[in-house]
Amino acid sequence: MKKDVFSESERLADITKYLRRTFELWGYKEIFLPTVEEYRESLRKGTKFAYNNSFYVIKPDLTSQILVNLKEPRRLKLFYISEVLNGGVKGKWQAGVEFIGGKDLWMQVEVLMTVITSLEALGIKEFYIDIGSLKVWENAIKGIEEFREEIFRALAKRNFEIIERLPISEEKKEELWRLFNFRGKKSDYEKLNLIVEALGDDRIFIDFGTIRPLPYYSDIIFEIYSPKLGYPLGGGGEYKFNGIDAFGFAFDLNVLSKLYSGKIEKNRKTIRGELKEVYKLAKELVNLGIPVEVKE
Amino acid sequence: MRIVLPKGRLFQGSLEILTKAGIGLKSPENRELIVKNGRYELLLARAFDVPVYVEHGIDVGISGSDVVEERESDVFVPLELPFGKCRLSLAMPKESITDVEEMEGFRIATKYTNLTKKFFESKGVEVEIIKLSGAIELAPKVGIADAIVDVVETGNTLRANGLVEAEKIMDVSALLLVNRISQKMKFEEINDLVLRIKKVIREGL
Repeated sequence: MKKDVFSESERLADITKYLRRTFELWGYKEIFLPTVEEYRESLRKGTKFAYNNSFYVIKPDLTSQILVNLKEPRRLKLFYISEVLNGGVKGKWQAGVEFIGGKDLWMQVEVLMTVITSLEALGIKEFYIDIGSLKVWENAIKGIEEFREEIFRALAKRNFEIIERLPISEEKKEELWRLFNFRGKKSDYEKLNLIVEALGDDRIFIDFGTIRPLPYYSDIIFEIYSPKLGYPLGGGGEYKFNGIDAFGFAFDLNVLSKLYSGKIEKNRKTIRGELKEVYKLAKELVNLGIPVEVKE
Repeated sequence: MRIVLPKGRLFQGSLEILTKAGIGLKSPENRELIVKNGRYELLLARAFDVPVYVEHGIDVGISGSDVVEERESDVFVPLELPFGKCRLSLAMPKESITDVEEMEGFRIATKYTNLTKKFFESKGVEVEIIKLSGAIELAPKVGIADAIVDVVETGNTLRANGLVEAEKIMDVSALLLVNRISQKMKFEEINDLVLRIKKVIREGL
């Protein structure tokens, strides 16, 4: 049966309710961005159109949209829930947070904690987070920078043959092969070890094969996934904005919706009665913060 | 582990390389689409759909690079396999050969609408693309298209239908595909499979 927009919307409303609550608990403020943004090269995704001899973008990637709207770098903790278009007319719903101008490590641990607590709030406990690093790869290719593009293509496709064909030393290939297949809890990169230790969660792994090929990431990147689904639930990473550090992530809401089993709302009070009386009571309950359902 | 293989052109080669890599999979009988064998489950799909199955959760698959590119599937491609070699080409009737640059407004019949669109866009030529599902060579013959984009192995089918290969768009080969999440969840098992297939390739299929 084809899902209609109303039943899908009900699920998304439920999911975003828990996400909003969790993001707010961690101190993130919701940002409301315009649907249409004047075209700028730094805006990613979105669907372009021309109007009155100017170019515009509808629903671009949120991180890039936040950055074009931020004139001066300052400490900001934001979250958004929005649709994102990618050149066409069909969009994807995303929910994400951006922590801008925080302190290295503290910011990364906090954002990853936000991911974990958000999923737990949704009742999703079976998930993993793989954390990788771009700097580790940048260091590994020092001296062979001319093959940077091929090496990153090999990583994105997980195809080591591309690296094997390069005219580089066998020792280098061996070193890249080890990184390519590194997956564990402790690595040679202290920053990652500290993050994993601070998170203290069995579901977190260091995986140098995790690569998210987005132009703005500067070092730490991560991907969230579940053994129940063949595609990631979301991901994020570290980037720089006008010289200051930032860290963010986004969930794919349509994917979360597949995993969300729906919590039973236990504490909603159902009341019945005469029109005036029942709504008087309902108003008092709502003022007290008690969820209410009036039955005719 | 679930493995999806394409019916048709690449099926025998796929089965052979997996068998040599120590994964004895029985060939399906009586139109079965799923065959179980110990730890492995073999699924049979249309060649055009294999990357879609892998992208959406089947652990491993074998498919032509033409299909992976056409579908723009987000899958890992750890190995190129030594069979299924052919090319994706633009072909047209031998009596009306035209330069690609001169093909503005031509009608092109193909299964590969995405790759065809990209190819002509890269040449700055606008064409009308007609999507067909098979026996593409028929289209210019009956006059519903001026040219075709299709895979060419020996060129015999083209010749038999009075067509000539005008330009190669890409080289095609069979590829080993791995689901992005399976690569993480079944890390050892998949790495082991990749290394075993790699050994088979190195020692000659």
